[in-house]
Amino acid sequence: MEDIQVVAMLVRRCIAGDAAAWEEIVQMYNRRIYNICYRFAGSGDDAHDLTQEVFIKMYRTLSTYDHTKGAFVTWVTTITRNLLVDHFRKTKQDRITDSMDTVASDHEDAQPLSEQIQDQSAPPDAAVRRREVAEAVHAALAKISPELREAVILRDLQDMDYKEIASVLRVPEGTVKSRINRGRAELARLLQRTYRQVM
Amino acid sequence: MPDTSHNGMQCHEFDLLLTDALDGVLSGAGLDRFQAHARSCTACGPLLAEAEAGRNWLKGLTEVEPPASLVANILASTTGVDSQRLETAARAQEPRISWLERMQAAIYGYLEPIWLTVRQPRFAMSFGMAFFALSVGLTVAGVKPADLRQISLRPSAIRHTYYSTQARVVRYIDNVRPVLQLQAAFHGIKRNAPAEPGPDKRKINKNDTTQQPEQKQERNYSETDNHLILAGAPLGPSVVNSLNQDLPVVSVTTYRRFV
Repeated sequence: MEDIQVVAMLVRRCIAGDAAAWEEIVQMYNRRIYNICYRFAGSGDDAHDLTQEVFIKMYRTLSTYDHTKGAFVTWVTTITRNLLVDHFRKTKQDRITDSMDTVASDHEDAQPLSEQIQDQSAPPDAAVRRREVAEAVHAALAKISPELREAVILRDLQDMDYKEIASVLRVPEGTVKSRINRGRAELARLLQRTYRQVM
Repeated sequence: MPDTSHNGMQCHEFDLLLTDALDGVLSGAGLDRFQAHARSCTACGPLLAEAEAGRNWLKGLTEVEPPASLVANILASTTGVDSQRLETAARAQEPRISWLERMQAAIYGYLEPIWLTVRQPRFAMSFGMAFFALSVGLTVAGVKPADLRQISLRPSAIRHTYYSTQARVVRYIDNVRPVLQLQAAFHGIKRNAPAEPGPDKRKINKNDTTQQPEQKQERNYSETDNHLILAGAPLGPSVVNSLNQDLPVVSVTTYRRFV
């Protein structure tokens, strides 16, 4: 995704006070960070706020980035993951646990997960069905434990390799693989309770 | 996960190879052993199926589009100002407003509250009456709109009007000065003349008995009554003498009846 030298140059320009370089970094990484936050937090509003927080923290700590220690994307993802964990801990008491009737999606026409899964009637067209399935998967993803969720998101949604994920999560690579396996399996169990066949 | 061995592979080892198998990087003898373990192990077999299914579910998720305002908000919250590009885009979207329109808007904004107040019926009537009184006053004073139109507002004309008005005022004062001197002299002569005895200001009010003692008052009352009573009384000699000169003597006796 990134050329190490180009990114290192951008970072140096940012530290020197070049606003255009900072804007370039924001343009490069905002989509990725927003998606991680959205899949982890489950809400578009939370994702928006968290993405802003990530960039604020990046802006303040940009001078601490050392390109010899790892890729910039790994550094950015680590900041994101740490903030997500903090956010998860802060909002732990507010969350509703394991209720299948909770509306996890922030789409206006989103239905509770149980209704989405039970509604097996023929959808009007394939696009609608794909959207419904995506919402159901998104809702199910929010149900699995945060340790498994973050590993699955980084691997299956962000296409990070195991070594990078291990660096971000600060756990051994074997643990990363194990979490990914268990996360995928738990997600499948949640969805297959009513969906009897994979897409 | 129970750590049992099937076909020469531990469940722990199977778990580590599971991701490689799903990624398609496992091949050869390792893949054969992996598949054999999956078929024989009651815990790992379902795990493989579920992990594969979960992975397929997640493939269906696509990237979501961030909100359009996200970048602008990030830049505003970090650098504090929008970038030049964003400013240019914002300027391009703003409609161009001339200075005349801006001034009109400012004046309108200043006068609007006053106009709203004036539009109230009670104030409208007051302003109407004030305008009427002003117009009548100007008409009586001889001011006509046509005269106002002829007024020249050139600096030289204003200066000329000022000096001519000043000269008229000076002439008026010069003319009126002898009259004032004569008037002052007349007042001086009048003041120096001997004072005439003034009329006695103490007018005696015969009916005013407030200063008299009560007995006197009672007497007066009785005197008043006596006139009436005396009308019927026998006339005294002085009265008779005077009456005898001009009038025929008529003797009238009346009796007043007191109830």
